[in-house]
Amino acid sequence: MEVLQHVVQYVLNMGASVFVPIIMLIIGICARMKLREAIGAAIIFGVAFAGMNLVVGYMLDAISPAAQSFAKNTGISLTAIDGGWTTAASITWAWPLAFLVFPLQIAINIVMLLFKWTKTLNVDMWNVWGKCFVAVMISYISGSIYLAFVVVAIQVIVELKIGDIWGREIEDLTGIPGVTVPHHMTLIASLLYPIDKLLDKIPFMNKKMDAEALKEKLGVFAENHVMGAVIGFLLGLVAGYGISKSLILAIQAATALTLFPMVSKLFMQALSPISEAISEFMRKHFGDREIFIGLDWPILAGRNEIWVSAIILIPFELLFAVILPGNKVLPFGGIINLSIAVAVVLLTRGNLLRMIIYGIVTTPVFLYIATFFSPYITRLAQETGAVKVAEGTMLTWSTIENGEFKFAFAEAMAGKWWGMLLSVLWLALFALFYYGRKKDNAAYFGQNHKEHVADVFKKEQSL
Amino acid sequence: MKRVIVACGSGVATSQTVASKVKRILQEKKISAEVEAVDIKSLDRHVKNCDVYIAITKPKTDYGVPTLNGIAFLTGMGMDKEVEKLVEALK
Repeated sequence: MEVLQHVVQYVLNMGASVFVPIIMLIIGICARMKLREAIGAAIIFGVAFAGMNLVVGYMLDAISPAAQSFAKNTGISLTAIDGGWTTAASITWAWPLAFLVFPLQIAINIVMLLFKWTKTLNVDMWNVWGKCFVAVMISYISGSIYLAFVVVAIQVIVELKIGDIWGREIEDLTGIPGVTVPHHMTLIASLLYPIDKLLDKIPFMNKKMDAEALKEKLGVFAENHVMGAVIGFLLGLVAGYGISKSLILAIQAATALTLFPMVSKLFMQALSPISEAISEFMRKHFGDREIFIGLDWPILAGRNEIWVSAIILIPFELLFAVILPGNKVLPFGGIINLSIAVAVVLLTRGNLLRMIIYGIVTTPVFLYIATFFSPYITRLAQETGAVKVAEGTMLTWSTIENGEFKFAFAEAMAGKWWGMLLSVLWLALFALFYYGRKKDNAAYFGQNHKEHVADVFKKEQSL
Repeated sequence: MKRVIVACGSGVATSQTVASKVKRILQEKKISAEVEAVDIKSLDRHVKNCDVYIAITKPKTDYGVPTLNGIAFLTGMGMDKEVEKLVEALK
């Protein structure tokens, strides 16, 4: 027993960039991958970690001094640096228990499909990381791994249910039938639902704005390198850097924002054979039923409303970050708030005006939640050794997906009464949304889903 | 070498899933081509020098290159047809 403990400790001590690849290798072999492929995937995983460490380290080295200088000059302390979702994903994959979420999600999905409690078959294995993130955050805040996984189970269930709700809407927005996005980022829609019903009563809120035209004008600003350069330059100026140092910071920031997704891709490259094997398995056993295939949100990325609203929110995020009392988050890596944009494009059925309003109204919520989680995210980074965070600063993610759920349940599991109250409230609002939206959809789409799918297939066969 | 690009929201997960799958399929068929995952915000830049564009979202404009349905690779439905189109386009 002691020998086993020593071996495990020895492996863990080598840090995430070694022990996670070893776990990957074992899983790959169990999944019947060819040994050479499994070793290759394992090494890419290690490279992904080391690479992410490089880029995040580079970003922190450039931005932290600027943030600290800004704090000295203005008294506004924004010392939690936003590494965005790619950083959060990177440190989450480094958590030793991360891989337990895979079997949990698959098991719950299979059970729910067998009992016809859901129509969604979730083959999106990438976003398992989001649930691992929930697990580790709650395990830190409540001190219990078991409670953490209980919350993960709850999240998997509500994700599948919301997947059922979005299916028809997504077909409307993308033209693709039979798919859905059972992503936890969309869950905030259930909290905004009551407000949305109120807005229905105001005639002006029902007008449609032309997102296509707006996107043309704003388009180039959304590119990572341009955005990074602009934010870096502005940060340099407010930090009192003067023009030349600000220009240097501009390029450094642009570099970080451009490289983040490039290195993140490596995680996906490593995971893809395993993810494919799991997807195949799920499809083989459930593929012929009337189901929605659950995919990741980018199938919606063609909707310009998402990009336009996210870009318009950027100045608001920066403004709120500075004026909100108690906020410690410097928005950077996560500044394109896809978490809200995707949720509200579905909720509002592509109504850009409402999307922008929701975006502005929820920005303070995102910032405060990010502030709340920053010590825990920093702790995860330090404990896994995945990223080095400098003294006096913290690492965070300014636009945490489904943050309200995480916050409520974390506090509840930690025994705080307001957490339990908020958790019950969250579930109540979700139930309200689920049943209310189902009725709305029946009215809006005018026919029963089964009939509709039959119509679509008839049309496709005649083409 | 011929170049295939796949675009999704951030160029990280979904497009990479499809890119990895396409790479594997091409390897099995002994067709050599570069397959790259890019983010949809930079699409205009990348689509100029590619030979095939695999779209995860229904494109509203014609980019002048053979455009395939990326969703087929994700759901498996209709994938064989897209693979045929891909092989044709890479000849």
